[in-house]
Amino acid sequence: MNKLSRNLFIFILIIVFIIAFASSYLSLNIDNLAYILAIGIDKAEDNLLQVTFQFSTTTPASESGTMEKTPTITNSVEASSISTAINLMNGYMGKQLNMSHCKVIIFSEKLASEGISKEIYTLINDTQVRPSTNIIISKCTAKNYIQQTTPELENLTSKYYEILTNSSKYTGFMPDATIGDFFNCFLCRSYEPTAILGGLTTENNDMSDSIDSQGKDDVKANNSPIEGQNGSENIGVAVFKEDKLVGELSSLETISLLIIRNKIDRFLVSVPDPTGSSDYIDIYLTPKGSPKIDVDTSTPTPFIKLKTSFTGRIYSMSNNAKYLNPGVLDLISNSCNQYLETELSDYLYKTAKDFKSDINGFGKYALTNFFTTEQLDNYDWNANYKNSFFDVTVDTSVKSGMLITETSPT
Amino acid sequence: MTKTKIGTLEAIMLVLTVIIARTISSLPREAMARTKSATIINLIFVGIIAVLLSFLIVKLLRNFAGSDIIDISEYLGGKVFKTIIGVIFMSHFLVTSSILLRSFCESLKIVYYPMTNIIFIIALFILAVCATNRLDFNASLKTNLLIIPLVLVSLVFLFFANMNKFVPQRVFPIFGDGLFNTFVLGLSNLGCFGGLVFLYFLPPYLKQPEKMKKIAFISISLTAIYLILCVAILLFMFSFFMKTDEIAPLYNAARFIDFGSFFQRLESVFLLIWILAFACYLSIVSKFAMSIFKKLTNIETKKPLIDLFGIFILGISLIPKNYAIADIFETKIYPYLVLAIPICLGLSILILASLAKKKSKNSNLSPNQS
Repeated sequence: MNKLSRNLFIFILIIVFIIAFASSYLSLNIDNLAYILAIGIDKAEDNLLQVTFQFSTTTPASESGTMEKTPTITNSVEASSISTAINLMNGYMGKQLNMSHCKVIIFSEKLASEGISKEIYTLINDTQVRPSTNIIISKCTAKNYIQQTTPELENLTSKYYEILTNSSKYTGFMPDATIGDFFNCFLCRSYEPTAILGGLTTENNDMSDSIDSQGKDDVKANNSPIEGQNGSENIGVAVFKEDKLVGELSSLETISLLIIRNKIDRFLVSVPDPTGSSDYIDIYLTPKGSPKIDVDTSTPTPFIKLKTSFTGRIYSMSNNAKYLNPGVLDLISNSCNQYLETELSDYLYKTAKDFKSDINGFGKYALTNFFTTEQLDNYDWNANYKNSFFDVTVDTSVKSGMLITETSPT
Repeated sequence: MTKTKIGTLEAIMLVLTVIIARTISSLPREAMARTKSATIINLIFVGIIAVLLSFLIVKLLRNFAGSDIIDISEYLGGKVFKTIIGVIFMSHFLVTSSILLRSFCESLKIVYYPMTNIIFIIALFILAVCATNRLDFNASLKTNLLIIPLVLVSLVFLFFANMNKFVPQRVFPIFGDGLFNTFVLGLSNLGCFGGLVFLYFLPPYLKQPEKMKKIAFISISLTAIYLILCVAILLFMFSFFMKTDEIAPLYNAARFIDFGSFFQRLESVFLLIWILAFACYLSIVSKFAMSIFKKLTNIETKKPLIDLFGIFILGISLIPKNYAIADIFETKIYPYLVLAIPICLGLSILILASLAKKKSKNSNLSPNQS
């Protein structure tokens, strides 16, 4: 009897716990969920938000076995907040929206320039949103950006979003900006947040805007010479001061940012050819370790010394190139140094004087100059950054060309 | 004397159990809130003090071989005093573990069980504790011996897996809110060393009581290293734990781990390990609470107490109206409880009892000498 009552008690307990935990299981059951791939947030009228959701569809594999593009669904809703928008969409879709597979969050430029702290707090507060979700600031509306995104090489849109920033390591044209980093920088005293700059390839295809007087290919999203089936593009950086968008960086400036942050493996630059065999030489540069940064805060105007070094390989080739001649390689190295010093210096003064935003994270190097938080607060790094002066030193060592090292005049 | 005997390694892991359960919840965040960027330097300082305190406890306990703090308090103040001290320590074990259980279950509810009533999540732990407590104490200790090293290894993994996201300069300004805050007010971080409380109860259980000093040194040193590692992860990774309150900060750090697109979402594995560690902590704490109760009431067996204590923990954990109240207890009250009960009260009893023993020894010797 005793054993029977014990077994009965255990059985009842199991049933009770199954019932108790079933509701959580059912709410997270795959059949009841609609997986969001991307969220677009625009500013609507009457202080409302227009939130666009891109969903993945669960289509069965084709009988022929051919790889077909998986279609996505894009729906939008106007609401006073993201949470209300999700709730409305839950009702409309008949399934619970789940953001655990959301890869990108797109904010329109208009909304970002007014401040997105409320939206960032809401999203980071959600357990489903991954800290690795990328943040894009779109030059067009976020809804349009999502609608125009049609990956060419990937069948799955989710896969495209996942590998979106992979090229940043070898092109340096966009940062790997995630919501986790954004939130961290937003609350940090020594960093300002950044995001990926997005736009449409069809908006402005006029190449003349993207080539400056020196012939540098300096492009930005929405203003690039790219044409293709995928209507969206991501080039450049959206610069924030606290939670407000204050400016944009072009592709070359983005390379400068990534060099300073030590987030780039290699990149291609076109430097003036000192030998005169052509106007410009394309060189693949690889940073030699992290840059050396020294921040002097002994005066109210911070003095920042940046020293960085690269090794390079000449990528372009022309007639009468003598890349086996050490003197020629030295000349090219010097040309690289001058070019990069000017680029980095211009970029740094732009962040300090125009944006007044320390997106490079020099503030973290300044931290070492203070013993107490009070001293740091009194110095007010974020407010003082606009007074900064920079000294940039670049040491490039061009090693050789690639397969062909010397050519004769034709 | 008790039948259960604890080995040296088991004893070390037992002391570590408390700190591990606390760090899963909010301990590193609390320490950082008090001493800001100086938390690492403060923990080194406080860790040295904790090791010295543990040596003092061990030295004083040597005067009463094979006795725990309850026996010593009986020696010092008789049965009434023993009962008072016993109730204080038992309440300390039950209340602190119950509120911690509530906080941990609230975190679990938010992350994994949004639709399940909190009572069922807590009850699941209580069931596990009641089941393990029916087994021999050694079963809990042996399980603990398996789980705690796993937690330690997982923390080291968490540290190295997130290393690429570290900003080591966040350790500056080196003195945080100033020298006074770091080294004087920061002494409240001694509350992080709640594992010290087990040192008072270990002597009757130890297989090799002569290794008590070694146990104290290794366990408290490991506690300090573990805490420093936890704080380093949070301090180097996030700028916001000094400004923003977030549940289960280490879980938040675990969410950042990914190795390409293949190894992602490893936080679930961490949570599983932490759930096991938490169940071990609850089981050990309730066993010690029952031992005290048994000692106070002179009952022969602990078995009837198992379910009673389980219901007790469940009841106490349901007292806080919401997470905020449980959090206030954890962040504002618990550190001072550790300072008051295991450190001040425990040490005072040991010192007074040692003096009393010395005095009685002297008075016994005097007639013979004369």
